[in-house]
Amino acid sequence: MLSPSEKQDKLIRATDLDALSCRYSSNSLSYFVPPDPFINELVSSYQTYLQYSTGYSSLSAGRVLRSVLNKKLPLINKGTYLRTIAIDLVVEDFIQEFKNCQIISLGGGSDTRCFRVLNKHKSGVVYHEIDFPESVKIKKLAISKSKQLQRIVNCSDNDIVDVASKEQFEKVSPGMHSDRYHLSAYDLRTLSMESDEGRALLATVDANLPTLVLSECVLCYMAPDENELVLKFWKSVIKNLLAFIIYEPMSLNDAFGDTMTRNLQERGINLLTFNHFPNLASRQEFLSGKCGLSNVKLSDMSDIAGYNSMSEAPMKPWIPAEELKRISRLEMIDEVEEIRLLLEHYCLCYGEFCGSLQSVTFKGIDNYRWLIPDVKCSDNGNKST
Amino acid sequence: MDLDTDVPMEDVEDLKHNASESHSATGDATPSNNNTTNAHKKQDLNPTSVSQLDEWIDKLSKCEPLSEADVKRLCDMAIDVLQFEENVQPVQVPVTICGDVHGQFHDLIELFKIGGPCPDTNYLFMGDYVDRGYYSVETVSYLVCLKVRYPNRITILRGNHESRQITQVYGFYDECLRKYGSATVWKLFTDLFDYFPITALVDNKVFCLHGGLSPMIETIDQVRELNRIQEVPHEGPMCDLLWSDPDDRGGWGISPRGAGFTFGQDISEQFNHTNDLSLIARAHQLVMEGFSWSHQESVVTIFSAPNYCYRCGNQAAIMEVDEQHNRQFLQYDPSVRPGEPTVTRKTPDYFL
Repeated sequence: MLSPSEKQDKLIRATDLDALSCRYSSNSLSYFVPPDPFINELVSSYQTYLQYSTGYSSLSAGRVLRSVLNKKLPLINKGTYLRTIAIDLVVEDFIQEFKNCQIISLGGGSDTRCFRVLNKHKSGVVYHEIDFPESVKIKKLAISKSKQLQRIVNCSDNDIVDVASKEQFEKVSPGMHSDRYHLSAYDLRTLSMESDEGRALLATVDANLPTLVLSECVLCYMAPDENELVLKFWKSVIKNLLAFIIYEPMSLNDAFGDTMTRNLQERGINLLTFNHFPNLASRQEFLSGKCGLSNVKLSDMSDIAGYNSMSEAPMKPWIPAEELKRISRLEMIDEVEEIRLLLEHYCLCYGEFCGSLQSVTFKGIDNYRWLIPDVKCSDNGNKST
Repeated sequence: MDLDTDVPMEDVEDLKHNASESHSATGDATPSNNNTTNAHKKQDLNPTSVSQLDEWIDKLSKCEPLSEADVKRLCDMAIDVLQFEENVQPVQVPVTICGDVHGQFHDLIELFKIGGPCPDTNYLFMGDYVDRGYYSVETVSYLVCLKVRYPNRITILRGNHESRQITQVYGFYDECLRKYGSATVWKLFTDLFDYFPITALVDNKVFCLHGGLSPMIETIDQVRELNRIQEVPHEGPMCDLLWSDPDDRGGWGISPRGAGFTFGQDISEQFNHTNDLSLIARAHQLVMEGFSWSHQESVVTIFSAPNYCYRCGNQAAIMEVDEQHNRQFLQYDPSVRPGEPTVTRKTPDYFL
């Protein structure tokens, strides 16, 4: 039997299936150009191995997976496309600007961005993924099944595993490391340099590279002080530019937010930052004031999608008009107010620590339109200008 | 152009024959808005049909879907009623005007609790009965049953979701497959939707429709000339009436929905002036309070699906118009369903 906290963790891990399911649906409707070439490998890994994962039986895994391939509503497909593209853009611009750099994806689960990035950039980029051991194993098994993925992450034959029972799944070592890809199992809520696992994780990270940390609906499941701990952990590790891009829901203290809290609680999911940092202003205060990040910029997905007619900043829109037009032709959005409402409850936040190299900052981030564009250096001196 | 010329003559003969059946047995003997000017006599219900309909209404009110064979019978009966309604169906006051329902059956029952039961209260629904919610089949079956049973007490207009194309994307098609194992019921209902009237005119003063105005329609008479008995087209006046939205910007604009137009206050005011109207009542847009005025009270939006899609947290509303044309809005929240196991209800999708 699972303990209450293990149950909670299982529910949080299962949100990766929601994300995968949404990406699968968007992808099958041609939202992504080119189409995601790797998603089927991840779906099939879940289909084969979820039954061996902690807390699942073949029956319960089958039940969960049946709905994964279900078609989603157009607003979910569109929102999934938007979140993926917005973060892809930031990642790509970061790589273009710094050439030699590392991307650290927190709780990426079955995300395929690592494969897409490493496939495009054959050198210069090191990609780290850190997640729960169970999630890491699903990904490792997906890579093990695919010659194409093995080539992309450049893993050694020793990393290739296969399992056919719960016992074997249990024994899989949760991790995979090559010169360009590090898949590590770690509970982000307990990040610490004092533990063996913490030291093992740190051994894979190059403290001197410009680093972009991605949190796509991950920090939202951690308490505010754990959020701070995560940000400050990486700050203590990385000596070069350390940039964060954070995507997650916020309640806006309104009826939609209350309904979302209730709906997710029915599934046993608690969003710990959702009401605590209900809007962009409170997130700005947290990231910049409390955590000491500089160059903090915030927006919501409604604005990024062009639904916010109030915003007339002369900055380049996130997504070109022609591309938005292509997307709008894929599926008819029957209710504009609803998608706007949904998207405005998701924020995209950027912030950076400049490390000991005071002058380094990610200039590319200024290319985009932010609702809160320019937070000047906070008073604790992380940035010289 | 007379729309009713579409009707084959033998059907009209049947109707005349059936019309000799007892009138008082229908329980609808004192229609408040019997349209005597209608070129064709509507079919009156025989006692067997009445008891059949009452049985179906009883079953549906418990949220139990009808059998496929009964849906077939119901749709045949409904076509006999709806084909004789006009593109601009005249409606008398008092009437309670309602917006989108979207398969939220339990909230529809709540609506009838708030507004009073049909046929004690006259109702005008402005479309979007199906899609999104989990009980589109029960919702549309129930409303169509009421329409056939009390044809002069309830008017049901067509919304943009009452279409073959949209229902395949937004849930009604899938729900029919799930509940009946085939697309037959979906086919029956979407064929029936073609007969739904597209607008209504309350006491010649309040123009009611699902979406909004069309740049190709200046007068209500132009609506009367349309051939409505068809799938909702992708463009043109009928499409616009079901898809357009009022906007803060003046004039006509491109709709972000990809169909219909946006229209400004100048357009609404001109239309109301030309047609001697006091108000355009429409649905189609989620509004958090359940109703929302635009264009200095020349347009009102009414939305009757509380907590739309189990996700939006909005209130719903209906608008009562009394004999003196006074308007009153009744707002309501989602129905509480004690004892319903929440685990069986799928939570709506979020980005997680």
